[in-house]
Amino acid sequence: MDSNKGIFGLFGSILRNFVLFLYALFVLFPLIWMVILSLKPDEHMVTTTFIFSPTLENFRAVFGQEGFLRSLWNNLVVSSLAVGLSLVVGVPAAYALGRYQFKGREEIAFTFLSFRFVPEILIIIPLYLIYQKLGLIESVSGLVWVYQLISLPLLIWILRGFFEDISPDIEGAAQLDGYSWWQVFFKILLPMVKPGIVAATLLGFILCWNSFTFALQLGGASMQTSTVSTTRFLASDTVHYGWVAAAALLSSLPGVILALLIQKHLVRGLSFGAVKG
Amino acid sequence: MASVELQGLTKYYNKRRALENLSLDIHDNEFLAVFGPAGAGKTTMLSLIAGIATPNSGTIKIGGREIGGLAPADRNVAMVFESYALYSQFNVYDNMAFPLRSPKFKLPEDKIKERVTHHAKVMRIDHLLERPIQALSNGQRQRTALGRALVRNPDLFLLDEPLSHLSANLRHSMRVELKEMRTQLGTTTIYATHDYREAMSLGDRVAMLNGGHLLQLASPDDVYFRPASIDVAKFFGDPEVNILDAKLKSSGGSKLSLHMLEENIPLPLPPDVVQVLNEKHTSKIQVGVRPPDVRIAREGDKQAFHATIYSFEPLGTRSILTLKAVDGSLVRALVDGHQTFEMDRRTQFRIDPHLLIIFDAESQRFLARSAEFSEEP
Repeated sequence: MDSNKGIFGLFGSILRNFVLFLYALFVLFPLIWMVILSLKPDEHMVTTTFIFSPTLENFRAVFGQEGFLRSLWNNLVVSSLAVGLSLVVGVPAAYALGRYQFKGREEIAFTFLSFRFVPEILIIIPLYLIYQKLGLIESVSGLVWVYQLISLPLLIWILRGFFEDISPDIEGAAQLDGYSWWQVFFKILLPMVKPGIVAATLLGFILCWNSFTFALQLGGASMQTSTVSTTRFLASDTVHYGWVAAAALLSSLPGVILALLIQKHLVRGLSFGAVKG
Repeated sequence: MASVELQGLTKYYNKRRALENLSLDIHDNEFLAVFGPAGAGKTTMLSLIAGIATPNSGTIKIGGREIGGLAPADRNVAMVFESYALYSQFNVYDNMAFPLRSPKFKLPEDKIKERVTHHAKVMRIDHLLERPIQALSNGQRQRTALGRALVRNPDLFLLDEPLSHLSANLRHSMRVELKEMRTQLGTTTIYATHDYREAMSLGDRVAMLNGGHLLQLASPDDVYFRPASIDVAKFFGDPEVNILDAKLKSSGGSKLSLHMLEENIPLPLPPDVVQVLNEKHTSKIQVGVRPPDVRIAREGDKQAFHATIYSFEPLGTRSILTLKAVDGSLVRALVDGHQTFEMDRRTQFRIDPHLLIIFDAESQRFLARSAEFSEEP
């Protein structure tokens, strides 16, 4: 019996790992394909051959293009500012929605969430017209503002769960220990919701960084982000797939690196506040 | 050290009443146990004194000083919460040091270290100072919370059910420890609990709260032996007090005797009880009999009531016996654990009239109890 089980256990574990490997391959294949494309010379572009002499020509070409580095910088500035603003606005909002009982509390929370329901493409034309009137087209502040639709609901909903999990007794205790409410907030509450802040900030940043529709329509030519400038290599006459792949790879790197760096916080942050009785 | 005066405190949460017109005085250095079931308003009372919640009306004075408008930090009150409310990002030492690092009670670090280690020793958690809160047992968390309250010599301690989440054994040993600590503390303390034993063993006086109302404020002895109402009597004591209907009959001269359980056994009332009853002109009464005061009698005892055994719960040294009397009412008795009783067997029991608690049947309020304890017949 025991040896049978042992053989079955071994076999099961091999099978399990094999299935997981297949799944990982399936998920990672687009990324792998992109890396391969970015290293291929133009003439091998449409073949499926995996044997070629790798070249960095595509990257050289991308960096040589005027404005690509600029667009990476633009994206970094806009996404960081957007997430920064979301933090300033969203942390107090999440606290209020998590802690205070007031009329319309659920409605307000739901309104924030509903920002995420509408496809961006559906509201882009009215938004464009409004932005035109307000003179926000092609400006940093305009993009930062519209990115709140992406990062703010995420932050509020993740952090709200965290704040709800902190007993009001903690605040009372810290106030009795001789601190003002603001000191309690910064010294006690913020450190307690740190995993949530890290996770929401990171996710918000990645979503803003990857945003395409808003950046394309509202950023225009002078405030191009890297997602938009990548498409410039898709010209009507020639398509430099190698260049596109290299540019896409470069602009996906920050997200990947960030996610790997704080993977631990990410899982904890997203699962912690979410599980509710 | 300070006295506390509550005057007409009322607190509503939305439309729900938590406290209604609560007035009571707590003496300097007193240990007041606030006892009541869940939802009685105990925590609300403590939160109002601490300043975490604001009353709808009423005033609070600590040491004669009105503190209504003061922030919690300015009241110099320490509170131990039912949930302990420890700061999970800190270890034990930093939790205890936290009040002493505040702008309000700031001390230099070496002084902090001195105080924290001293109080950690008192609470017997000095070997745990480096531990994170997550690595502590409930008992250790509770000590840490107490330690954090102790380090800064407050005017007033508020303890909100500090023992309720501990295991039964630990609860008892902590109760003994608290009793010992309370003599060392020498600080006015308000202790909320839903365990009548804690209230009676720890409190100089016991305030019984229910439904946001103060039902009685008296010494533990008074609350137990002379409860203000039938409700109060029912909350103290386990098994619960027996409340029985009784008729008063004159038995010649100024003497009165009781008849109950539909049997013809007159229980002569002690003269001091008779005097009170005559003064108050009460005719309809109910009596409370504590289960330990119900005695199993010898077969054929003329003065004993008749019953059958309804249920029998052996609990070691004591057993709870439920007797079904002639009129069908159930009477609980606490008897010696060495005896065993067969179900449905006939038996007899005695009730000593000196130990009866007499209530007014209409108002349900306390009337009298004899001051003299009878000699066993």
